[in-house]
Amino acid sequence: MYFEAELNGKKYKVDVTEQRSTWKVSLQEEGKNWLHYDISKRDFKEAEQYISFLFEGKSYLIDVIGQDTEYTVFTRNSFRTIKVFNDEMLLHESLKKGGNFGADQELKSGMPGKIIEIFAKEGEIVKANKPLLIMEAMKMENEMRATRDVKIKEIKVKQGDSVESGAVLIKFEEP
Amino acid sequence: MALFKKILIANRGEIAIRITRACRELGIGSVAVFSDADRDSLHVFLADEAYHIGPSPSKESYLNYKKIIEVAKQAGVDAIHPGYGFLSENTVFAKALEEAGITFIGPTVSNIESMGDKLSAKALMKKAGVPTVPGSDGGVETVEQAQAIAEKIGLPVIIKASAGGGGKGMRVVRKMDELESAFRACRSEGQNYFADPTVYIEKFINDPKHIEIQVFGDQHGNHVHLFERECSVQRRHQKIIEECPSPSVPNDVRLRMGDAAVRAAKQINYVGAGTIEFIFDNTTKEFYFMEMNTRLQVEHPITEIVTGFDLVKEQINVAAGRPLSFKQEDIKQKGHAIEARICAEDPITYKPHPGVIRACRHPQGPFMRVDSYAYPGYEVPIFYDPMIAKVITWGDKRDEAIDRMQRALSEFVLTGIKTNIVLHKTILDHPKFRDGSYTTQFIEKNFEVIEPQLFKEVEDPVFLIAAAITAYNDRKSKDVRQLNLTSNWKRVGRKLQLRT
Repeated sequence: MYFEAELNGKKYKVDVTEQRSTWKVSLQEEGKNWLHYDISKRDFKEAEQYISFLFEGKSYLIDVIGQDTEYTVFTRNSFRTIKVFNDEMLLHESLKKGGNFGADQELKSGMPGKIIEIFAKEGEIVKANKPLLIMEAMKMENEMRATRDVKIKEIKVKQGDSVESGAVLIKFEEP
Repeated sequence: MALFKKILIANRGEIAIRITRACRELGIGSVAVFSDADRDSLHVFLADEAYHIGPSPSKESYLNYKKIIEVAKQAGVDAIHPGYGFLSENTVFAKALEEAGITFIGPTVSNIESMGDKLSAKALMKKAGVPTVPGSDGGVETVEQAQAIAEKIGLPVIIKASAGGGGKGMRVVRKMDELESAFRACRSEGQNYFADPTVYIEKFINDPKHIEIQVFGDQHGNHVHLFERECSVQRRHQKIIEECPSPSVPNDVRLRMGDAAVRAAKQINYVGAGTIEFIFDNTTKEFYFMEMNTRLQVEHPITEIVTGFDLVKEQINVAAGRPLSFKQEDIKQKGHAIEARICAEDPITYKPHPGVIRACRHPQGPFMRVDSYAYPGYEVPIFYDPMIAKVITWGDKRDEAIDRMQRALSEFVLTGIKTNIVLHKTILDHPKFRDGSYTTQFIEKNFEVIEPQLFKEVEDPVFLIAAAITAYNDRKSKDVRQLNLTSNWKRVGRKLQLRT
């Protein structure tokens, strides 16, 4: 099965073939050569919730969380979020995005929390790196800033609101 | 004098478990309380009894002292242990318990009151001959006053909201023309966050370490200290690694600090466990009183490990009116202990990361302890502190304790949520941590470009291969599911059609 993946801003082509006793995984980082890995299924075991994975003589306990197009892989107390697309997913994603601007046009909450203060006003132009709002989660106040110059189209929350992860907080338009 | 029959623990998470453990060892019944979000929390499972006290926000549950007292009466307890945070330094609560005839396992109301306000605490400490940071004698009202004080003690200075804490309402001023705006900002933050605009000014120590001394007092006038803890590794002004003893305090200074702390405790006739916090100038080796915490602290285990005394049991002992079970000459520091606070947070941005823990396996092995309430399937709620576990290791020498912590953290499996374990591992390997020269600015100065350092241990292909195989399996199982959704008749029909 062919995938395209993205990790830390780098793009990869990935090909996975399942054989009776082996996984054949080929990776190609953009602009580099293909690398081929054969992983014996004996070296890839499910244990409790995670996978025990032997790779080039090293042992990893791996937990992969996620579905569809985004996976977070945990191992050795490190983690990476990886976007994985196959042809069908790529098509689906492009349909979902539709317009020109996509997710950049919104400020979304990365975690559940409570809105403490909102600095921005509708119609106002906010310069890059200026604070938009403060959200509290787990006793910490987190300032959320504009990543670029934006015009505030709509503020979807008010002070004191509790929001879920992924909730749209502010909609932008081009200044 | 008999100890208590049953204790209610007015707290949650790891500290509630810690207190429940002490109760069980002493043969005392334990009563847990829980909010809506905490029904599945481990402290509820481990106590003898458990009662629901309200909705998830702490204001409506763990801070609702009336409800807690009502439950205490219902459960028939004779004492309440408040843990740390929440009601632990709340005089209204302590007074209400007195009226209800329930013992508060903590200091007296007057102890909390006299140390609750930083300015009056500072004045009391001066009286006891404890060194304090040069600065204003009380609240500063006007910009002109602030300027005069800054000129007298010399720049840099720090302006602090009197009721502040946790890094809020604090400004460092390095140039005179920054003073006015910093002064106004602190006052308004004090008003906004703590409903008190009072600010004070202190000399700013350039090379500061946070060293604190654990003290203990009983109702019979005995006061001792259990030596120091160094808590300089902080992010967002919150401690994440503590160690005991401090690698920077010379032995003669250590003894002087201990004496000063005992003098401070005696000055207010302190009862129970408390901590005198000092700011320590690493260049001059001078120390100054900062504040007193009138409660048990998160980092108490490292003192327990190094001195060999159970501080929670001692709190219960003292609250029951018994004299301290140890004298100053019984208390020695043996070896070295380190504590790492494991938080549900992004190790790069330090933002909290609540969610469901998938896999969780605590480290084990010699000379270590894990105080944790994490387990597989537990959902870390958004309402409370992000700390979910503490790992404490001991070594005969400091290096051994650090190596043991590295080993323990590499054994710790915690997935599903982001944690700061990888940050801890990076800190422990840092030369400035290894040589003990780190100060409270250690993280902000040394971890500016944090990401590459944090993720060096595992190569990218490992992550990519794991994600790719999982994605492959997911796609395959989806296809199988879709096939199963249709009836067998349709499936057979489709197959036949495909054949022709």
